[in-house]
Amino acid sequence: MDLSFLPRFPFALGDLSVIALILLAGLGTGELFRRVLLLPRISGYVLAGVLLGPGTFGLLDRGMLEAAQLLFDIALGLILFELGSRLDWQWFRHNRWLLASSLAEIAFSFSLVWLLLGALRMPLLHAAIAAAIGVATGASVLLVVIHDRRADGPLTDRAVNLTALNNVVAVVAVTMLLAPLHLQYRPGVTTLLLQPAYLLLGSILLGYATSVALVLLARWLGKREELQFIALVAMVLLTVGIAKALQLSMLVSLLALGVMARNRDRARHLLPVEFGPSAQVLFVVLFVLTGAAVTLGELAAGAGMALAYVLIRLAGKLLGVVMFSGPSGLSTRKAGLLGLTLMPMSATAVAMVDATARYYPQFGDRVASVVLGAVLILELTAPLATQIALRAAGETRADANGR
Amino acid sequence: MPPPLPFKTSERYTLGVELELQVLNSRDFDLVGAAGDLLALLEKVPHPGEIKPEITEAMIEVSTGIQHGYAGVLTELTAIRDVMVRQAQRLNLGVAGGGTHPFQEWQDQRIFSAPRYRYIHDLYGYLAKQFTVFGQHVHIGCDSGDAAVWLIHLFSRYIPHFIALSASSPFFQGADTAFASSRLNSVSAFPLAGHIPFVPDWTAFTEYFDHMRRLQVVESMKDFYWDIRPKPEYGTIELRVCDTPLTLERSAALAEYARALARYLWEDRPLEPSADVYRVYGYNRFLACRFGLEAEVIDPYERRKRLLSEEIGYTLGLVGPYASDEAGASALQHLREAATTRRGDSVLLRERMAQSKSLSDVVRWAAGLWMHGSADGNSG
Repeated sequence: MDLSFLPRFPFALGDLSVIALILLAGLGTGELFRRVLLLPRISGYVLAGVLLGPGTFGLLDRGMLEAAQLLFDIALGLILFELGSRLDWQWFRHNRWLLASSLAEIAFSFSLVWLLLGALRMPLLHAAIAAAIGVATGASVLLVVIHDRRADGPLTDRAVNLTALNNVVAVVAVTMLLAPLHLQYRPGVTTLLLQPAYLLLGSILLGYATSVALVLLARWLGKREELQFIALVAMVLLTVGIAKALQLSMLVSLLALGVMARNRDRARHLLPVEFGPSAQVLFVVLFVLTGAAVTLGELAAGAGMALAYVLIRLAGKLLGVVMFSGPSGLSTRKAGLLGLTLMPMSATAVAMVDATARYYPQFGDRVASVVLGAVLILELTAPLATQIALRAAGETRADANGR
Repeated sequence: MPPPLPFKTSERYTLGVELELQVLNSRDFDLVGAAGDLLALLEKVPHPGEIKPEITEAMIEVSTGIQHGYAGVLTELTAIRDVMVRQAQRLNLGVAGGGTHPFQEWQDQRIFSAPRYRYIHDLYGYLAKQFTVFGQHVHIGCDSGDAAVWLIHLFSRYIPHFIALSASSPFFQGADTAFASSRLNSVSAFPLAGHIPFVPDWTAFTEYFDHMRRLQVVESMKDFYWDIRPKPEYGTIELRVCDTPLTLERSAALAEYARALARYLWEDRPLEPSADVYRVYGYNRFLACRFGLEAEVIDPYERRKRLLSEEIGYTLGLVGPYASDEAGASALQHLREAATTRRGDSVLLRERMAQSKSLSDVVRWAAGLWMHGSADGNSG
């Protein structure tokens, strides 16, 4: 009998099945977290990723995760685009103390973490990169919580703007810090200067070019939300693709795209980003993959250090925002809540660790264990903290079902 | 018979102006419930007049002290505006006039945490949140309760003037309502909306009020949502039909018109109170809301229809000599131009919408107009 038409056992899971698995696992764990543990779904998604990923049960190996990488990139691109487009320079101009708060929280979270890691015997440069990554607040968590709860108000606005600035600084700083690292592993003074210059300027130029295209496209399409979403996804993908091809920084390019699109759009052709059902699918993939990046084994080894990192970073951010809260028009109580909203670390941090590790694999491991450990701790705790902070500030709204 | 309600004696023709304003975010110019945050900042800086919360958290109210005419009202409002704008900018908020917010949804509004507002929300349900509309109230000083009642009956005839001249709410919940002022429909929804009964004097009014109190329909004067209401504690009548105009200049001009009209009616005595005014009241009010300066209303005294724009122009001509001063006279002249060219704020808002095709942009423009003033100092 010729049974060659039957599949060969064991069957390989195709790409689509991988994504289906990710979505189902995410949905399941997410709902479990919400209904049983009363925690936000985001934390569930991340845990699903941790369990599925190569670090734990290994149902998804690295090869399979590559398949979902596309969706991850689109999701991160949307997040960074919205983040960049919500950066309001006018506000910083009208409220200089707000800018001071921002610089303070960036400076304190960086330096305190750097000191901590240095004290824990991490080489200075590695510690600096790990600290720089921590400067960024996880925009994916913040924005998803904001959209979920339909949060709006001065505190929400402040959280988003401070996050936008600290992401810009973090991404630029990490890019710059890669240069001396370059020197360590491959000597050459010209590369010391040329590499970060190329990365930064090239990425900004790319963001600029795609922002021009996006605004023109939006103007042509008109004020139709669905169409503009399609255009946005296309532009995000284009930016990511070109950034990879030209070996530029995906993160800088996407942030530049968001910031410049808003600034160039005087006539307001671009509609505000709405995260509809299609975006929700992308976010599940984003958070699951973020979880999958964490290896539980590594985490166990560096858990203490990761926890210390988380706490010192939070202290630095709180100190920064509370310090100038009065003059910037914020009560101390609300400054505390603001500090909580700056807690998250998420996909951007993972992407930065990834970028570093891709260039310098040996170096990557050391930074990775601390940073990814911190990411895991924060993915499980920060979404709830952010939600509580926004609710305590009275800036969340019930949805149509009154939830 | 109960003793007459005490009515504080005020200097005749003095003015007080209250404006309800929209609190907006600077991103898409939707309403944002940040009045509490803004008030917290405003408490710490000196400013003339008073700034208070209103029933929902995206509303904020400013009021002047006692003024005597256009110039004083405008100066005080401008000073309050400047302080408010400075603090709003620190919070990245916008502030705008306009009778309604073009695309807010009443379900999204939050009731401001104060006992009276919670009571209203408990009693009136969704009407309380629907009351997220923005009006201008003008107080006119009277020297007795009898004078107040008399003036209210006469002013009731001129309600369409004030509605049409201030109408600035053509858009509601994201759509063009075809009304010049859709705001007043939110007011009309309340059971105690309408107008004062046709009583002859203050004693009769006291009797009426006492009766209503004993029937437990009302507890205080505030429970009447009338278009013109006596305010015995201040010694004024309160004209409540105006939408908040897009500019301070228009607000001050409307106050000047109310004052000049009161003087003209009181000193010239061209008319006496008539029940016919209240027979055509509801219909005229609707026509003014719906058609604004294009309306054709019924004159209850002459018993014929008249073009509202013409009638306003004519009346402004009559009361011109009673302006408070040169600045006031000039303001009345500008009002007359707006009336005869039929270009009120609702027309401007519609024009802006036709141009930009975005309600968000319309609100952004309106906020710019209120916060930073119009180019030529007059709206329209």
